[in-house]
Amino acid sequence: MIQGILLAVILLPLAAGALLPILNPRTRKTRACYVLTALLLEAALVTWLLLQAQAEFFVFSMTEVLTVAFRMDGVSRLFLLIAAYGYLLTGIYALRYMEHEGRENSFFSFYLLSLGALAGMDLAKNLTTMYLFFELLTLLSMPMVLHDRTQESIRAALKYLFYSIAGAFLALLCIFFLSRYSTTLEFHGGGNLDPALTRGHETLLQVIFFLGVVGFGAKAGLYPLHGWLPSAHPVAPAPASAVMSGIIAKAGVLAILRVVFYSVGADFVRGSWVQYAWLGLALLTVFMGSMMAYREQVFKKRLAYSSVSQIAYVLTGLFLLTEQSVLGGLLHVLFHAVIKICLFLTAGSFIFNTGKRRVEEYRGFGKSMPKTMWAFTLASLALVGIPPASGFVSKWYLAVGALDSGVSVFTWLAPAILLISALLTAGYLFPITIAGFFPGKGEPVPEKNAEGGAIMWVPILLLGLLSVALGLFSAPIVRALETVAKAMF
Amino acid sequence: MKPMLLYLLVFLPMALAPVSYLIGRRSKGLRDVFAVCVGGLELLLALAAFFLRPARAELPGLCARGLLLELDGFRAVYAGIIGLMWFATLLFSPEYNAHHRNRNRYYCFNLLTLGATMGVFLAGDLFTAFVFFEVMSFTSFTWVIQEETPGAVRAANTYLAVAVIGGLVALMGLFLLQKELGTTRIAELHALAAASGSKGVLYTAGACILFGFGAKAGMFPLHIWLPKAHPVAPAPASALLSGVLTKSGIWGILAVSCNLFRNDPAWGAAILLLGCVTMFLGALLALFSIDLKRTLACSSMSQIGFILVGIGVMGLLGDENALAARGAFLHMVNHSLFKLVLFLCAGVVYMNLHKLDLNEIRGFGRGKPLLQAAFLLGALGIGGIPLLNGYISKTLLHEGIVEAAGEYGWPLRVVEWVFLCSGGLTVAYMTKLYVAIFVEKHPQKQDQYDAMRRCMNPASAAALCLAALLLPLLGLTAGRSMNFLADLGTDFFHSGAPEHPVHFFAWENLKGALISVGIGAAVYLLIVRRLLMKNGSYLDRWPKRLDLEELVYRPLLLRLLPAFFGPIAALFGENRLTTRAAKLLLRFGSWFSGLFGENRLTTAGSKGLLRFGAWFSGLFGENKVSAPAAKGTLRFGAWLSGLFGENKLSAPAAKGTLRFAAWLSELFGKNRLTDPAARKSLRFGGWAADLLGENRVLTPLSVCFLRVTSVLNRVLCGLTDSVALLPRNLLRRLRRHRQEAGLRDPHADP
Repeated sequence: MIQGILLAVILLPLAAGALLPILNPRTRKTRACYVLTALLLEAALVTWLLLQAQAEFFVFSMTEVLTVAFRMDGVSRLFLLIAAYGYLLTGIYALRYMEHEGRENSFFSFYLLSLGALAGMDLAKNLTTMYLFFELLTLLSMPMVLHDRTQESIRAALKYLFYSIAGAFLALLCIFFLSRYSTTLEFHGGGNLDPALTRGHETLLQVIFFLGVVGFGAKAGLYPLHGWLPSAHPVAPAPASAVMSGIIAKAGVLAILRVVFYSVGADFVRGSWVQYAWLGLALLTVFMGSMMAYREQVFKKRLAYSSVSQIAYVLTGLFLLTEQSVLGGLLHVLFHAVIKICLFLTAGSFIFNTGKRRVEEYRGFGKSMPKTMWAFTLASLALVGIPPASGFVSKWYLAVGALDSGVSVFTWLAPAILLISALLTAGYLFPITIAGFFPGKGEPVPEKNAEGGAIMWVPILLLGLLSVALGLFSAPIVRALETVAKAMF
Repeated sequence: MKPMLLYLLVFLPMALAPVSYLIGRRSKGLRDVFAVCVGGLELLLALAAFFLRPARAELPGLCARGLLLELDGFRAVYAGIIGLMWFATLLFSPEYNAHHRNRNRYYCFNLLTLGATMGVFLAGDLFTAFVFFEVMSFTSFTWVIQEETPGAVRAANTYLAVAVIGGLVALMGLFLLQKELGTTRIAELHALAAASGSKGVLYTAGACILFGFGAKAGMFPLHIWLPKAHPVAPAPASALLSGVLTKSGIWGILAVSCNLFRNDPAWGAAILLLGCVTMFLGALLALFSIDLKRTLACSSMSQIGFILVGIGVMGLLGDENALAARGAFLHMVNHSLFKLVLFLCAGVVYMNLHKLDLNEIRGFGRGKPLLQAAFLLGALGIGGIPLLNGYISKTLLHEGIVEAAGEYGWPLRVVEWVFLCSGGLTVAYMTKLYVAIFVEKHPQKQDQYDAMRRCMNPASAAALCLAALLLPLLGLTAGRSMNFLADLGTDFFHSGAPEHPVHFFAWENLKGALISVGIGAAVYLLIVRRLLMKNGSYLDRWPKRLDLEELVYRPLLLRLLPAFFGPIAALFGENRLTTRAAKLLLRFGSWFSGLFGENRLTTAGSKGLLRFGAWFSGLFGENKVSAPAAKGTLRFGAWLSGLFGENKLSAPAAKGTLRFAAWLSELFGKNRLTDPAARKSLRFGGWAADLLGENRVLTPLSVCFLRVTSVLNRVLCGLTDSVALLPRNLLRRLRRHRQEAGLRDPHADP
């Protein structure tokens, strides 16, 4: 039964996505019913699965070493939860949003397919399975970027493909070495490296692991393979940007987490140059992303750079290799997903209702679209890390974890850069709110509009409130993720 | 019961804020009443709290780490002040705001700020304080921007920037504290800090927290938001900003100074220095200002400086810091009350005239006794005039400085004089305001102003009276009321009871106030009347350029740093470096793979090989080697066989032999050898025979002999003749010679 559900969680969206173009629903209503049913069913299945103590399923073996198998552990639960519910809310929003984009069948087909790939990746039991679904995810999410079929979007999609595949091959190299030097490719907290085999090859392996993480970092937007995000997000439809930034980019985080903690083991890299190099890259990305976002005027591109920066927060937490910082990272995975989906959906609402894409055009939007702007404001506060909103909690654990980590200069540099980046985040988000709600005396205020109807503003507002509420009532989440983080060492 | 009260104090106004918004959408009047009721309720709760202290309430799990609220004497006093100030300002607000837009927003955020401010003061650990502090910063932001004029927007942005930067820096301090001590519980800080070895980290943490809370307090050099934000905010909000919100910054500084760095002279000296600058600079700015609310804002800054000086002196004095502590605490309380009165008065002026420039509002207060009395009480109070509450706290602060001067010498004497001068400046700028509004007449509009008899409604008047009457009440019953308040603060300040009771009206203490008043009078008469006024109108002589915000902060943060870091970030962000490297790599790769992919190498190689093969196989296929060889062989064979077949060798040989033989045989057969020889020998023989036979040798020889002998004969004959004739010839010659000589010589013998 559990195994069946486990498999259903992966196969249901894949099947639903694959069937959609075949069934080819003619009316919006049937399509909406179909998509909604699939997403709700998936969410229900995931909820049911999350309530189970454990779940495991073995599919088949390609060879003795390469097996496809699934298992649910703490990390899977977190990512699966985010994926299922993030997709559900975004999907509801997309039902209306995609009306003005067209080609809805194609969009929802790949939307569902990518959810299936994500679920498979989240539940993977070993590196082979994860890599399989990682590649699948790249290929299935790429069509959402070129949805517009404009030259720009096709270029962006190709860029996405190029970066992802280039990264994936670096990662594959890492997997080859892991299969040679570790006892098994299955995930175990603490890693599977065989000390008898690795002895004498430490430097080589460190280089390989470094490259592997940089490779998987392509998906997470880690410098130097972050380049696809600012290109892909502005051209993709808003719901696609939302899930790509909030959820799919987290697949990169998941992959890195699985490699560093579940395959290599934190002890192998702790204190070595690899850890410093990773941290250096992550912190560079944190600062660079915020600074670029601060300079950017196209709203969705600004958000894309913001994602680059914020996901690097998570990676910083992971690379610090302490329980507390990893806890901060995991918290930020969840919080950033909620916040960034909300922000991208507000961007979508602005485009959908007014067609405006640049931030300087958003003056007075607080008056014309108050609910959307309120959600944006709450999410902004959370992203900057203003207490009691959610971002504050994750940053607290990240920074205190960094200070406790004892990784030479990074102990204080990491919190300092986190805070500088938070300042820049305030610099690129708050002016939008301020100009939106306080357009200034005598400034023309845009006319009030319906904000796309309840189907659009309800998910946005829900996410906005959630981004604050999750911080306020984060104690159970922190407790749950604490055990997850503990199991990783 | 007790925890419930604390929850209510903090969260009730927050929960009622949206309610007020919803009510406001239906009825404006009802909302105003509702808001005042909330304010009143809060005041009552605060008073109730006063009797229920100490109390403690934990909110485990909120914000992950749990929030902690505590109530002690100090906090109870401040809860009361917050309740009072909100109640008074809310009472005042309906009339003030009557003609403003966005009032719902104003009330909603006002009540949210009330809860958050309460939270800051009741916080039991710095984490909780920080959470509420940030909420307070953001909700109070809406006050500053409420009017949405360009000036308000700009000031609000400054306010927000200072709040965000200050908040983040303070957060860094909290991180460090949490890391170093493992907690931010205020009560535990002192013991843990004493046990901690790393002073450096603690000082860094303290400096960060000081930065964050000092920014809110208006401490130099982070005071920039104060003079900008207060004039543009609605007057009731200005009163709260100045009276309470700045004190929340002081609260944070106190929490650190009285616990983490309790009795730490180094820390005290730093605060004292900053306090002195803030105190004097604020007073100076206030003196130059010609805008009513701006003057009051700068005055706030200056008074915060007074409080900071008190806190600094507390650190310097160590265990015997009771006077300074009481002074600092009472001045906090007093300043909150002064500013409530003064800003409400300013509000009355503004809601009637919509102007704040001293030149415009001159004479407005004439003939308005209530306003005049209230303002006068506030002005006298803040000026430190005896019989009012300000005198008490300033005297205590002064006493504290004098005490410290006894210990530390001249630097504290300097501080004392700065303190007295700032007090003097306070008197001067309050006199300036008072004279301008209540004494002078407006050159044109005085009649109009005089006609505005009813300048406020009863509710506003009640609020003003309530606030103003507290000042003399406290001042006159100083011995009881002020001491009572001061005693309540000792728990929080960790200061003991004073060693001796202070006689407030002893000459020693009155002297300080009199010096200040004297300085104030001199400054007013000599500087304000002479330098800052021309033809009866007030001039803004403060150089416009001398503005820390415009001169340093804005260019630095908005231009310089982005201009520097932006391109660096773009270098990485737009992947300029890696793109170039990747392009180079690609170009090399494509060339390299082209080398193999387009088989340039192998093509060339195989072509060469083919050509060689073709040549080689042609060599054999077309028999280029064997054919010539065969031809050669054949030719040689033909030649050879010709050689023999055509007897080319033997035939000539035979011919030669034959010819030789013929020649040889001819040689001998025809005697070609012997014949000539014989002929030659015959010819020789004939010649020889001739030679001998005909005497061809002897005959010539004999002829020759004969000829020679005949010659010789003749020669010999001739020779003999010559010899025979010689003597004769000689004689003949001698004779001849004598003859000749005799001829010539007559004496010679003839």
